[in-house]
Amino acid sequence: MKHILIVDDAATVRMYHRNILESAGYGVEEAVNGIEALEKALQTTFDLYVVDINMPKLDGYGFLKQMRSQEITQTPALMVSTEAEASDRQRAFGAGANLYLVKPVKPEVLLSYVRLLLGEAGT
Amino acid sequence: MAIVKQQPIQQTSVDERQRSRDLPGLIAELEAEDPAARRWAARDLSEHPSSVLALVGRLKCENDSSVREAILTTLTCLGDKAAVAGLVECLRSEDVALRNEVIEAMKQLPEEVAPIMGELLADTDPDVRIFAVNILESLRHPLVESWLIGVIQNDSHINVCATAVDLLGEVGSSSSREALKSLKSRFPDDPYICFAADLALKRINED
Repeated sequence: MKHILIVDDAATVRMYHRNILESAGYGVEEAVNGIEALEKALQTTFDLYVVDINMPKLDGYGFLKQMRSQEITQTPALMVSTEAEASDRQRAFGAGANLYLVKPVKPEVLLSYVRLLLGEAGT
Repeated sequence: MAIVKQQPIQQTSVDERQRSRDLPGLIAELEAEDPAARRWAARDLSEHPSSVLALVGRLKCENDSSVREAILTTLTCLGDKAAVAGLVECLRSEDVALRNEVIEAMKQLPEEVAPIMGELLADTDPDVRIFAVNILESLRHPLVESWLIGVIQNDSHINVCATAVDLLGEVGSSSSREALKSLKSRFPDDPYICFAADLALKRINED
């Protein structure tokens, strides 16, 4: 089973994403901000991160930058945000995101992006 | 018995504070090279309400987190209209960390933020409206639920409504019930809105 870490400060969003991913057979863990995500990433190996941008303590950009710069992991990351500008996408990719999705996310779209990043496209 | 080497007492902050502590001196110190000097200047400016513009100007370009924290603490202490307006200005920043710090600071000012909440929730920029809803998350003010109901009834932007409905799931009462049902009919094809509204309704019904 592939394991995914959802990083979002909104409990409802985490629950929504969890429901979609678990229904598709993925194992899911949650973190409420970038700091907690870093701690979990150091303890556990995940197959994918699904990361929000706007979070207290450490935002999504900060989380990914730290992950990438310290080479803790090169695990793929899907950034999911309310921010829809091209500049937001560029910043996300600059921080180390592999794909970018604008909220609100439809289940089938989330799953297609997740499968793509996990190398399961077409399954 | 181990010999414990006595640590030298840090003099930096004391030395820095021996410089001119009048308003022009402190404002000048906000641009000092040493972050400790900038931090002390920011702290000492809490005695000077007319320093808001300088503090906000520095906050926008300050990279040192401890100085930013000091500036935000001072702006929160000052807490007047000018300070709140300065914080609002920073909500429009591209710097996500700064925006989040400002949101946290504004949560500490319920009485000062309340008079401008209507304006923030009607801002032309949906991101600012989302941040305004974020501020409501911990704003201890009796109108929080009414503001959130207003958002889900009137805001045309789905993510502003989504942020508000998340929060109503935590703070909403039976007063929110009809608005939550209406929200689902406003965005019938959006699975997230339906999920979040149903979740909020379930929690309200359980209370």
